Amino acid sequence: MKIKTLEEILKKKSSKTEFAILTNLENGNSEIYLPGTSPKGEFSKYADEIEKFFKSKKNGVIENSEIFVETYIKPIKVIIVGAVHIAQYLVDFAKSLNFEISIIDPRGYFASEQRFPDIKVINKWPKEAFEEIETNSSTALIALTHDPKIDDPALQYALKNKFYYIGALGSKKTHENRCQRLAEAGFAIDEINSIHGPIGIKLGGKSAPEIALSIIAQLVSETYKK
Amino acid sequence: MKNSFDEKILDEAQDWINANQKVVLATVIQTWGSSPRQVGSRMIVNEKGDFSGSVSGGCVESAVVSECLSLIKDNKPCKKIEFKVSNESAWEVGLACGGEIAVYIEQIH
Repeated sequence: MKIKTLEEILKKKSSKTEFAILTNLENGNSEIYLPGTSPKGEFSKYADEIEKFFKSKKNGVIENSEIFVETYIKPIKVIIVGAVHIAQYLVDFAKSLNFEISIIDPRGYFASEQRFPDIKVINKWPKEAFEEIETNSSTALIALTHDPKIDDPALQYALKNKFYYIGALGSKKTHENRCQRLAEAGFAIDEINSIHGPIGIKLGGKSAPEIALSIIAQLVSETYKK
Repeated sequence: MKNSFDEKILDEAQDWINANQKVVLATVIQTWGSSPRQVGSRMIVNEKGDFSGSVSGGCVESAVVSECLSLIKDNKPCKKIEFKVSNESAWEVGLACGGEIAVYIEQIH
């Protein structure tokens, strides 16, 4: 691989562009491929196969050839509501996983840059904050404030926009009350039941890093189910 | 979720290059049976034999390092290496898990 190609790969990765690296295993030539374009030179005759790898989000050697395809897909967007202590540990865990995190918290003293370096922190109420984030059915929401004023609008937005994972922190009682409010707001019972509440898998721990670990474990598990 | 951990390896490769080191990139290109690391898993090796990342669960890394060092010494651009449990040197570099992997090594130049 040429140094120039490596630099280009790193640039594409940091700008969250989807791309593939094509490598001719016989002569060592490599190229960067963007989906929807025509592969260059010696790779041009494998256009269909390359596109197939892209669609299935897989890496591998094209059958009956010496061409290796490695695809890079966009990270999964995770929106955390509540720039609280648990969020700091979530950010740490997510660093080594392919998640892109944004944090929403209207309370300025929580949502400081010093508490969350390198993370997009939106210091606004959820309704306004969601105008700044592009979301779809591959987005996840983790609501951590257990304050209905802040969590509820975010949960409603996530339900309406069919996020694949929605979790909300709080005790069983807190969650029952939350479900009640969502029912009164007109959400169907199966929509409400799709919310993971109390959030996280049962690990038994009560400390902030332990709760963060149980949330991230549930998120990874649900990501593989989708 | 794919490419999660190894994403950092390419960044590290660039750091090593910026520090004037010779870098060989090793990538898992094929797997058969049960193998610990998926296709696309990466490892980098410099001319001193320092390495970062992984292509298996520790089973074949030492063999990959020596292959990478030979590549630098012979100044060859790339090589494909296959590891099977039935290798003659199975005790030394075989995959204990019974899987097979193909690793592609290439110089970054």
